[in-house]
Amino acid sequence: MSLLVVDTVSKRFGGIQALDGVSLSVGAGEIVGIMGANGAGKTTLFAVIAGHEKPTSGAVRLRDRPITGLRPDRICRLGLTRTFQIVRPFAGLTVLENTLVAAHYGGRPTRDRRLAERRSLEAIERAGLADRRHQPSGTLTLSGQKRLEVARALAAGPDIIMLDEVMAGLNPTEVEDMLAMIARLRGESGITFLIIEHVMKALMHLSDRILVLHHGKEIALGTPAAIAADPHVLEVYYGGAA
Amino acid sequence: MRAIEPIAWAALVAAGIAVYLGGSVYAVGVAFSLCTAVALTQSWALFSALTGYVSLGAVVFYGLGAYVTVLMFGETPLLLVLAVAALAAGGFAFLIGWPVLRVRGPYFVILSFGLAELVKNLVMLNEDRLGQFSRMMFAAPDLGTLYLLMLGCAIAATLVAWLVRRGRFGDGLRAIRENEEAAETLGVPVTRLKIAAFVLSAIIPGVVGGLATLRTGYFEPSTVFDPTISLSVVTMALVGGGDDTRGPVLGALFFLLLSEVLWARLPQLYVIVLGVMLIAFVLFLPRGIAGLLPKAGGRAT
Amino acid sequence: MSQLLSTQLLFAALLTGALYGLISLGLNLVYGTLRLLNVAHGDLVMIGAYTAYWAMTLAGIPPVASVFLAAALCAGLGWLAYTALFRRLLANAEIARRLESNSLLVFFGLSIIIQNVFALAFTASPRGYQYLSDVYEFAGVSTSGSRLLSFAVAAGLCAATYLFLRFNLFGLAVRGLIERPAAAEIVGIDVDRVRIVSFCAGFALAGVAGVLVSQTEQINPFMGFPFTITAFVVIILGGLGNIKAGLAASFVLGAIETYGVALTSANLRSVLIYGIFILVLLVRPQGLLGKAAR
Repeated sequence: MSLLVVDTVSKRFGGIQALDGVSLSVGAGEIVGIMGANGAGKTTLFAVIAGHEKPTSGAVRLRDRPITGLRPDRICRLGLTRTFQIVRPFAGLTVLENTLVAAHYGGRPTRDRRLAERRSLEAIERAGLADRRHQPSGTLTLSGQKRLEVARALAAGPDIIMLDEVMAGLNPTEVEDMLAMIARLRGESGITFLIIEHVMKALMHLSDRILVLHHGKEIALGTPAAIAADPHVLEVYYGGAA
Repeated sequence: MRAIEPIAWAALVAAGIAVYLGGSVYAVGVAFSLCTAVALTQSWALFSALTGYVSLGAVVFYGLGAYVTVLMFGETPLLLVLAVAALAAGGFAFLIGWPVLRVRGPYFVILSFGLAELVKNLVMLNEDRLGQFSRMMFAAPDLGTLYLLMLGCAIAATLVAWLVRRGRFGDGLRAIRENEEAAETLGVPVTRLKIAAFVLSAIIPGVVGGLATLRTGYFEPSTVFDPTISLSVVTMALVGGGDDTRGPVLGALFFLLLSEVLWARLPQLYVIVLGVMLIAFVLFLPRGIAGLLPKAGGRAT
Repeated sequence: MSQLLSTQLLFAALLTGALYGLISLGLNLVYGTLRLLNVAHGDLVMIGAYTAYWAMTLAGIPPVASVFLAAALCAGLGWLAYTALFRRLLANAEIARRLESNSLLVFFGLSIIIQNVFALAFTASPRGYQYLSDVYEFAGVSTSGSRLLSFAVAAGLCAATYLFLRFNLFGLAVRGLIERPAAAEIVGIDVDRVRIVSFCAGFALAGVAGVLVSQTEQINPFMGFPFTITAFVVIILGGLGNIKAGLAASFVLGAIETYGVALTSANLRSVLIYGIFILVLLVRPQGLLGKAAR
C-alpha cells in the first residue's frame, strides 16, 4: 500500500488550469522530487495535498484514507505537513516557542508541556538550530528561518513532510548543509519527503524519483537518471535533446 | 523580580478585600470601577491581544449582559440573573463567532465596531417597541455585595487570562496571531481555538455589564452600549501592555488615576487624553507599560 | 405602493446617493494616497458643517459661498496632516509598519480627539440654520431650495471628479497611484505631488459635503460618525479604490436607505445601515463590485 496517493487531481482557478489530471503514488520512506518551471503547478499540488485548496476533481488518499477537502490541521494530525516557499515563521516567538506549537498540536497532539518541550528540543537539534533556540525567530537569517520551517515540521511528528523550495535563496554552502540535513533526516527517521526544488543538483542528488510538471500536466515520472535522459523533459527545458 | 510577583498579586487581592471590609463608600466606588476595568480589559486582551484580532466592539458583551440583567431582575435571585447574563453574552459570541471570525485584519476591526452598534440599535428598537425609554431598577443589591462580586470577576478574569497564556491554548492563539496559515498547517485547529477564545472573552464582560447596571440602578441602551467603553478597554490594554497578564491591571490603574483627575472637571478632556494615549502607544510603545518591565518568568506570559 | 414609486422619494434617494458619493469619493482618494482607511473621514464632514454654520451666523455668508471656504479649509487641513504628520511618520519604517497594521485604531483615536475638541470648543448642543427654505415644486417633487442646491452641487461635483479622473492626465496619474502605487513611481509619476493633491482633494470633498448637509441637518460634534460608516459601506460595496463602483454603490445605498426607511420607519435607519455593513463584510470583505484590495 502506498503511503500517499494523488489520484488524477485537477485544479482550476477561474480561467487557469493549474493542475490537469496529476497522479502520483508515494511509498513510505521515499523522497520524491517535484520539478517544473514557474507556474507549472508544483505549489498548487502541495496546496491541494495539504488541504489549503480543494481540487476541482480527483482525490488524495493518505494510507488509503481519503483526505481530499479536509482542513490542513486535520491532515497534519493524520501525518502530513508542509513548509512554505516564502518562510512563515511565528516572528514574534522564539525558535523554541515556534516548535512548541507544532509539538503541542501536530501529529500526536498533547497537553503535556514537558513532552512537547522534549519533542521540540529534539526537532530543533535535528534541524541544527539548538544554539539559537531562544532567539526570536523574526531575527534569524534566511538560512535559519528555512531550518526553522523544517524544525517545526519535524516537531509535528509527521510521516510525510512536503518541502516547498526549502533551498531557495540560500548560498551554495547553505544548500550543501540543507542537502546533508535532509538526507540525514530520511536515513535516521524514515520520514517520507516530497520536495519541490529549482536547485537541480539537490533534486537529482536526493530524490528516489522525480515528477516533472509542465502547465499543470505530468510529463515524466521516474528516477533522476531516467528524467535526465527523457526526451520530453529535455524538449521542455532545453528545446530539444541535449 | 520573580519572587516579588506572586506577593504583589496577593497584596492586590488583599487590598481589594480590605476595601470591602473597611473602606468608605467612596473608596468602594473607586475600587468597583477599577475592578470593572480590570475584568473587561483582561477579557478583551485574552482574545484580541493573543490572536491579533483587534476588536473595537467589546462593549457588545457588556451591554448584552446589562440588558439581560435589567430584563430578568426583580424576582429572580441575583446569582441566577448574572449566570444568565454570562450565558447570553457567551452564547451570542458563539453564534456570531464562526461567520465573524472568518474576516481578517482591518475588516475585522470595523466589523466588530459595526456589530456593537447594530446590537445597540436593535436593543433601542426593541425598547421602543416595548414602550420603554430607560429603565430604573429598584431594590438593587447594596454596593458592598456588588463590589464583592465585581472583585470576583476581576480575579476570575485575571486567573483565566493567566491560565490561557501559559498553556498550549495560549500557544495556539499566539501562533494564529503570528501566522494563521502556518499554524493551521502545523495542526492548530484555528477556527475552533478562535471561537473558544472569543466566547471566553465574552462571558465575564456579560456579568460585569449586569453588575455595573445594577450599581447605577438605571438602564439606557446608549449608555450601556457606549462605544467609549470599547475604546477605553482597548486603550487600557494597549497602555498597560496586551501580551501580559499584568498589563490590564497596570492600564486600569493608570486610567483610574487619569479619570480621577480629569473626569469630574472635563469629561471631554478625559476622552481626548484617551485618544492621544491610544495613538501614542500604538505608534511608539506598542508593548505598553508591561513591555518595559522585565518579563515574568522569562517566558511570554 | 404609489408612494413608493413617487418622484418625491426618487429625488430623496438621488440626493442621498449624491451626498454619499461625494463623501465616499473623498475616502477613496485618501485611501488611494495613504493606503490607510481613514475612520475620521466623517469628522471632516462635521468640520465642513461647522464652517458653514459659523460663516452664516457670524458673517452672513451663504452656503453657496462657504462651500469654497470649507473646501479650502479642509484641503489646508489635509495638506497640514500630510506634510507635517504622515510623511514624517511613514518615513520611519518601524512606525510605518505599526501604523499600517493598526491604522484603524490610530484614526479612530484621531476621530475621538477631533470630536471632543469640537465638543469642548463649541459645546455638544446641536445647532442649525435656515437657508433657502422656500419650497419649490417640479415634476411632482416638492422640496426646499436648499435640497435642490445640495443635489446640484453634489451630483455636479461627483460627475466633475469622475470625469477628471477619467479623462484628465493628472487624474489618470491619481488613478494609477490608487491602483498600483509601486508601478506609478516607476512610470515616472511624481508620486509625492499626486499624493498631496489626492489627499487634499479627498479632504475637501468631505468638507463640501458637510456644508451641503448642514443646510438641512442638525450640526453637532458627533454628527460625522454615521457618515463615516456609510462611506465605509460604500467602499466595501464597491471595493477599495474603485471610483466608478464606489459612485454606483453610493446611489445603491442611497436608494436602499431611502426606500428601506419609507417601507418601515425612520427608527430602522441605523439598523439598516449597520445591517448592510455587516452583511457585506461577512460575505465579501473585498467588496461586491470591486476587485480584491491589495
